[in-house]
Amino acid sequence: MGTISSAFHLISGALNADQAALSIVANNVANANTTGYTEEKPNWQENSPVCINGVYNGTGVTETGATSVRDRVLLERLDQQQQLAAASTSRLSALNTIQALFMPDSGSASATAGDIGSDITSFFNSFSSLEANPTNNAMRQEVLSAATTLAGDISNAADGLNAQRMAVDQEAAGVIPQVNALTGAIAQLNAQIQSTSPDGDAGVLEDQRQQDLSQLSQLIGVNQISTENNGLSITTTSGQTLVSEGSNNPITSGMVNGVTHFFVGTTDITGQLASAGGSLGGYLTARDQDIPGVLASLDQLSYGIATAVNAQNNAGIDLNGIGGTGVNPLNPPLNIFNQPAAVAGSAAAMTVTMADPNRIAAAGPAGGAGDNSNAATLAGLSNSATVNGKSPTDFYSNFVTMLGAAVAEVQTENTAQNASVTQLQNQNNSLSAVNLNDEAAAMQQLERSYQAASQVFTILNTIMTSALNLGVQTAVT
Amino acid sequence: MLQLRDGRFNPELKAVVVEASLALARLDADRLEELALSCQALNRDLSAWSGQERAEMARESRELTGEMAIFERVVEATRANLDVMSRLRQLHDGQREYGGSPRLRTSRRGPWGPTGDSDGNH
Repeated sequence: MGTISSAFHLISGALNADQAALSIVANNVANANTTGYTEEKPNWQENSPVCINGVYNGTGVTETGATSVRDRVLLERLDQQQQLAAASTSRLSALNTIQALFMPDSGSASATAGDIGSDITSFFNSFSSLEANPTNNAMRQEVLSAATTLAGDISNAADGLNAQRMAVDQEAAGVIPQVNALTGAIAQLNAQIQSTSPDGDAGVLEDQRQQDLSQLSQLIGVNQISTENNGLSITTTSGQTLVSEGSNNPITSGMVNGVTHFFVGTTDITGQLASAGGSLGGYLTARDQDIPGVLASLDQLSYGIATAVNAQNNAGIDLNGIGGTGVNPLNPPLNIFNQPAAVAGSAAAMTVTMADPNRIAAAGPAGGAGDNSNAATLAGLSNSATVNGKSPTDFYSNFVTMLGAAVAEVQTENTAQNASVTQLQNQNNSLSAVNLNDEAAAMQQLERSYQAASQVFTILNTIMTSALNLGVQTAVT
Repeated sequence: MLQLRDGRFNPELKAVVVEASLALARLDADRLEELALSCQALNRDLSAWSGQERAEMARESRELTGEMAIFERVVEATRANLDVMSRLRQLHDGQREYGGSPRLRTSRRGPWGPTGDSDGNH
């Protein structure tokens, strides 16, 4: 090869390479504000060296296409954090609605549920009033009235919880068409990427796939597995395949025991999805754990009150001089509430069955018409361990506190997870988006922020500890 | 938020913690370092406070549990993110695209420059 012609060849090749690189840079600038666009960098490939007069010379470079500056590990971490954040967001939304049911005077249609605490107090106080005047009809009516209010509010709360459970079930079912649309789109993109760019970054197609993955991560918990030829398989976190390269397995749904269950093929994956993350995971956690847990507590409360009150009323003598089943098993029962056969479902079914106030057994088994000993015992049930080892008031108070703590816990998780997502998005933007920050600067920012925040946390902890100790010693009233 | 009163900091601790959490989410290192300095000053100042001020600080501290829990979780999440990024940084020394082919050379050398070992001169 002649020297001059080689030189011209080098010049020509370099100009072509620069021109191609320039177009990539121009594309980056043009897409600077495009959501999900990943910066591309030109790839340079050295040409084979040539021998001129016995000396090997390089022949410059050729631009061989563009590689997007993406980082799949970082993106996967971001997707995982989004799954957790989305799960806690949807769960928090459901928990807030549940908690609102138990807020006194909330003004909602189910506001009465929030009055259960005062209802319990009023109900047992009505026995105290009856104790003072055991033959008074108004006092007896007041007992039944207070019982009706308490039973109505508890069953309203249970109805509200069941309605909320169905609403969450609908939300969960509504996620599936979106999931299937996204897995279908990802499978299509896989096929395109594998056919057009099996050995390198597929640029815009990979951007689209990443955006779909990001959306999918907000809906359900998934694992990503890179496959040959730039492909991507997606499974649920428990390993059910949703996307395998160019094909997807849609999730189907069907009703099982009154709620929506989810299937891949014939496998029921509902339980797996509940713990997997994404908004679906949050909805299913609320539907299958949180709401049933609250309902179970309400059932225990209603079962405990109804069983204890009925048993005690049956142990006395009513105004007609007739004893309950505790006095004579052959007598008709003197139940104030319908007697639940089992704990489960007792809250929703709680009603007052006694219509005649004269059947309230204020008198003890040995007392006469004016005796109040059984009314006193009935009033005393308010302080007896009749509900899971606690008094009704203590049990309800503890239940409301636990619910509040659960909401606060999920709120804390949600705030922290969203903060983590924000951080990772910042990092990813620094790396992938078109801007002047480079990776090292982004990393330094993360390290500095962490160190400063750790310092703030440690000092604040010290201050709080000192302040609390000092506050105890020098408390000012 | 951080106000000077009688030459002394009078912070609303809750606001400090909430702002620290937000700043950490945004990776606002400058603001976090400012907050750290403010907290250091507050900590130094604490011993000189009157009984009433101490009692007020104790009250604020008792109300701060929720915000501190959130801040702690955000710090933990940041630690985890930092771990991931540190590992990534090590991996980046080799290649950035883990699933695809090794990244092609992005040398800025001009076509006229002296060629190195890989150019076949040796």
